[in-house]
Amino acid sequence: MERITIDPVTRLEGHGKIEIFLDPDGEVANAYFQIPELRGFERFCVGRPVEEMPTLTNRICGVCPEAHHMAAAKAGDAVYHVDPPRTAKLLRELLYSAFYVTDHTTHFYALGGPDFVVGPDAPAAERNILGVLAKVGMEVGGKVIQARKQGHNVVEMIGGRKIHPATAVPGGMTQGITEEQRAEIEKIGRWSIEFAQFSLGIFDQIVLGNDAYKEMVLSDGYTHRTYYMGLVDPNKKVNFYDGQVSIMSPDGERVGTYAPAEYRDWIAEHVEPWTYLKFPYLKKVGWKGFVDGADSGVYCATPLSRLNTAEGMATPLAQAAYERFYDTLAPKPEPGGKRLIHHRLATHWARLVELLYAAERMVELATDPEITSPNVRIVPTEKPTEGVGTVEAPRGTLTHHYVTDERGVLTSVNLLVGTTNNYAPMAMSVKKAAESLIHKGVVVHQGLLNRVEMAFRLYDPCFGCATHSLPGEMPLQVAIRNADGEVIEVLSQNC
Amino acid sequence: MADHVSGDRQARTIVVGLGNPLLGDDGVGWRVADEVEGLLRAARDAGRPIPDVEIERLGVGGLRLMECLTGYEAAILVDAAEFPDRPIGEVRSCCFDELAEFAAGHLDSAHDASLRTALTLGRRLGASLPGSIHAVTVQARRTDEFSEELSPAVAAAIPVAAEAVVELVAAGAR
Repeated sequence: MERITIDPVTRLEGHGKIEIFLDPDGEVANAYFQIPELRGFERFCVGRPVEEMPTLTNRICGVCPEAHHMAAAKAGDAVYHVDPPRTAKLLRELLYSAFYVTDHTTHFYALGGPDFVVGPDAPAAERNILGVLAKVGMEVGGKVIQARKQGHNVVEMIGGRKIHPATAVPGGMTQGITEEQRAEIEKIGRWSIEFAQFSLGIFDQIVLGNDAYKEMVLSDGYTHRTYYMGLVDPNKKVNFYDGQVSIMSPDGERVGTYAPAEYRDWIAEHVEPWTYLKFPYLKKVGWKGFVDGADSGVYCATPLSRLNTAEGMATPLAQAAYERFYDTLAPKPEPGGKRLIHHRLATHWARLVELLYAAERMVELATDPEITSPNVRIVPTEKPTEGVGTVEAPRGTLTHHYVTDERGVLTSVNLLVGTTNNYAPMAMSVKKAAESLIHKGVVVHQGLLNRVEMAFRLYDPCFGCATHSLPGEMPLQVAIRNADGEVIEVLSQNC
Repeated sequence: MADHVSGDRQARTIVVGLGNPLLGDDGVGWRVADEVEGLLRAARDAGRPIPDVEIERLGVGGLRLMECLTGYEAAILVDAAEFPDRPIGEVRSCCFDELAEFAAGHLDSAHDASLRTALTLGRRLGASLPGSIHAVTVQARRTDEFSEELSPAVAAAIPVAAEAVVELVAAGAR
């Protein structure tokens, strides 16, 4: 490959922008996916009381406020050295499970669904939730809206507000729930279990029942062998709210598990001259570039990663779905002993297995005898110092790290957000998609944008500012550059 | 967050300040909503008749925004804009349907559907959605850096944008 040098002053920035660099033979040398990054959050937070963080960080963006709310509250617990009462933890996890049901539902039907249900080669105008519903029936749209509405209601019941929850604070929660609310949440949880099973059925029927789609899921173009990351409970089962961070090698060997506060011993960040983004990698393995394999420290943190790092799901129906997932796509274990699925498009299926787990977990939590206890907070009395809080955001492991002075005023803030974990894998997936459609300088236009979009969409990346500006369609621009770095072609949609 | 200026039942018209108040000029939609609320309260306190309107401040788009518009006859969305080659602080007002050509450079729906798709979905499912949706925009300078301050030109545009919203509300947003 010819070395391409890009002047640092031409660092690439932009929304949904993809740069593909060709080598002198016209083959794809590198491809990069640009994500707009919001700047200055640490500076913005320093000097504020740490108690503000759960309600401040949940306004970073409108996509996953619940995840930031929980990570911030947990980091606040750690800063004040306080262990919240059991009921507070149950309530937080219940809110969080309801959020997962909503978020995963939305992703499957509005984002992932179009790629499979409508088809990767369908016109862009049809590849949306309306196209999905045209295929599976408009009544399914009613279920999607109902799932979302109910999820929002649970978040409001427990979190006090319908969009940006406000009740998780250092030491627990500011309010509990009534028996009437509990019963309503249990009912919603039971409905959600049926809905999750129904959604898995749609996946079965439309994707697994279609040889062409199945072939696409299993194709090399959407396969990567990287390390995987995810939170696990003491039984090594998937957990969204709490646990140890587990790392699985691409060969099926558990590299280790660590407490969230030790993240800096495990994760380092690689810097490239062409972007302000930093690429996290496993410190103990090292950065070897945007490459697969056990020698490369690139890791992935997604629904598929969580399933790959865990030994299973903690609820019965989700466990059955988990086993079917692996029986179908990875019947044989890796050399390290664990069955792994490296087919990245299978992330959509993994998301549905998690949807079922979240729904079952809602019912478990809503029927816990202590869920309506008024004992929801221990007021912190210890001197605040430093703390780390980690949860699994739907799109990857989310870590908040705060340091305060003796008054609890923040002196340092570091956030490692879900999508950031996947910057390197996303770039690799985009490159593979491009490789399949560009040879000897000839670009196959048909399907290029769709295939590239599918490659990063499966990661459910969080564009921090996704909802902050004037409503419009998501723009996507692909620039193809020759070996000298000159732009030779630009493809775009909604730009 | 929602504030029904004129009574307890659901209003006919909703004014939504969109954006993130922590992201500099992106917060202008919320600030305009504050200003509109102040103008209407002042009018009410002075004994003047005021329109039946609800004021909301949101940082969401797509399906979530569509869901928040359910039940209203008219909606006015106030947002920061990044139109190409426009002066900072410029206030523009148009029907939502006219916005397509201006969508460039804006990410709205990385996690669900665009508002346009969401509205179509809602209507097909029989949701009661506004027959009239207007957008009032303020051209922003910077929306990607955390700050609670607005650029001076954007801050200066708040009364202009608020007046545009009040006129739309008074006209029934038609």
